[in-house]
Amino acid sequence: MGAPTLRVSQHRSRPGTPPARPPRRRRNTADPHVGRSRTGSLVANAAGLLFAVVMAFPVYWAINTAFKPVNEVETFTPEFVPRHPTLSNFASALNAPNFLTDLKNSVIVTVCAVVFGLIIGFLGALAIARFRFYGRRALILVILIVQMIPFLSLLIPLYLTMNGLNLTNSLTGVVIVYMVLVLPYTVWMLRGFIIGVPRELDEAALVDGCTRWQTFYRIILPLTAPGLVAASIYGFIQTWNEFIIINTLNDSGKWNLMAWLASNQTLRGTTWGPLMAAATLTSLPVVVFFLIIQRNVATGLTAGAVKG
Amino acid sequence: MVSVEPSTREPLDRRVNMPVSALAGRRRRGRQATPYVLALPTLIVIAALLAYPIVKMIMLSFQHLTQRDLFTGESPSWIGLGNYTAVLSDSFFWTVVVRTVVVAAVCVLLSVGLGLAVALLMRRVTPWVRILMTVAMMLVWSMPQLVSTQVFGWLVDADWGVLNWALDKIPGVDYTNHSWWVNPVQGWTVIVILVVWGAIPFIAISLYAGLSQVPRELVEAAVMDGAGPWAVFRSVTFPILRPLVGIVTTLSAIWDMGIFTQIYVIRGSKPELDYYNLAIYAYQEAFAKSQYSPGAAISILTVILMLGLMAFYVRQMFRIGDAD
Repeated sequence: MGAPTLRVSQHRSRPGTPPARPPRRRRNTADPHVGRSRTGSLVANAAGLLFAVVMAFPVYWAINTAFKPVNEVETFTPEFVPRHPTLSNFASALNAPNFLTDLKNSVIVTVCAVVFGLIIGFLGALAIARFRFYGRRALILVILIVQMIPFLSLLIPLYLTMNGLNLTNSLTGVVIVYMVLVLPYTVWMLRGFIIGVPRELDEAALVDGCTRWQTFYRIILPLTAPGLVAASIYGFIQTWNEFIIINTLNDSGKWNLMAWLASNQTLRGTTWGPLMAAATLTSLPVVVFFLIIQRNVATGLTAGAVKG
Repeated sequence: MVSVEPSTREPLDRRVNMPVSALAGRRRRGRQATPYVLALPTLIVIAALLAYPIVKMIMLSFQHLTQRDLFTGESPSWIGLGNYTAVLSDSFFWTVVVRTVVVAAVCVLLSVGLGLAVALLMRRVTPWVRILMTVAMMLVWSMPQLVSTQVFGWLVDADWGVLNWALDKIPGVDYTNHSWWVNPVQGWTVIVILVVWGAIPFIAISLYAGLSQVPRELVEAAVMDGAGPWAVFRSVTFPILRPLVGIVTTLSAIWDMGIFTQIYVIRGSKPELDYYNLAIYAYQEAFAKSQYSPGAAISILTVILMLGLMAFYVRQMFRIGDAD
């Protein structure tokens, strides 16, 4: 278990370290475990490969199934590559009732919620990151607590509130709820990016005669652009993937793509080929966007926990 | 939107003791309003759509809300602690509590343990194996929960699932048409594996990033002093990694106490009583049986149960947020 840290210290040379310490020499002198380590690293690589295969298998299997005709899906002895690859599953997913409506709903709901959440969240983040004011700590605390409350447990009062406002079975209601869903994390993520812009830049701009507003849109806004992209993509993923809230608040016809996908499994007694094709289609945008921002997602949740 | 007059550098600074002229004093007040103006929309949204529902839910848990009240808009009758006594004296509730805690504990242990192991493994393998591992984890991480649950449902399908086929290959084992959901222990095993499989990428990649922060000099010094691999891990690597492990564990615990999608979807939106955890229980009470008040009481009890975990996470993150 402990060995990896040792191995790395021998393998890798950082750009900053002088070349006077070639790994080979160190291996000969310091490490008494050389022989064992070599088989050890073979085992490690094998374990790593096995892990990658096991992790990726369900993904591969879903895609594999999506391209199979029905007689290759519904068989006890599975084919590991589709023998007669077909696009018919994708076609039947696309032609299924409500697919296009719900795709449209997904896009509307997601874009509106993310844009509103971003505007409001950016202002909030600016306040927290750039100003010291009475109540700042309380605001940070509220945002963190709110982020922790399992949203599902608020679904009951939210449903009743929306019901009272006649906002159930409407996209407006869902947009509002989704905006709240993404807001705390948006504020928290943007806060990190705004802090990354050195205060000295603001100050220099102010000294040079910029107004506060100019400082904002000439200095802070362009420099936090990557943060805005990251936060909006994160918000997109959150809202795109959500289906329980919209399923509870709205009736079918006013669902999003995920709720549509979920209903596919229950109503039709599950035909796996089309379902896997539909699942692949609906997750495609999420996977692409996620890969763009994955670094920010990881650090946003644990930022600053380790200071090296 | 914000004040348009030219201002000095002072408000952006932490120094409060700067001499302030009378003129600047007037500006200062305007500037002090700025953060409140900026924070106002966030506050309003949080208050209207999070604080208000929370209050409403607490009220609801002391009321008896019927379907009729919902349609007529009449305010429901107050019944004091009635919902709580009903829920707390129900032995099924306690079964569900124990089940929720046990399942969460198993999931947390497995996902953090395996995540740490994978993070350490990633430091040991050759670069291209590491890339393959990362790619596999990214695929898993990016998949929507709904989709990965459906894929697992397909893997363990009784008739044509690939898992039954693979197990059937073992000599003397007959898994033809074996249903994984008849025996709840088997069913929960599938759910736990699904949860852990989905959780490993975040944990492993976070911890791997944390591992690269461990100063090399410390490890080398320990090796010089004769520490073996285990001693290095126990006395050097792990202590540095501990805060991160703490946060990751807390987050996992909070998430795993509230597992919902995986259970709800894999049981075809109609989970049997054996597959209830607290999240499912509250949801089903409220939305399948329209028992909103008991549902609210269960939700509140769940949050109380998780309060300690949340307090820990919020405290850790608050320190970070307050510091910069």
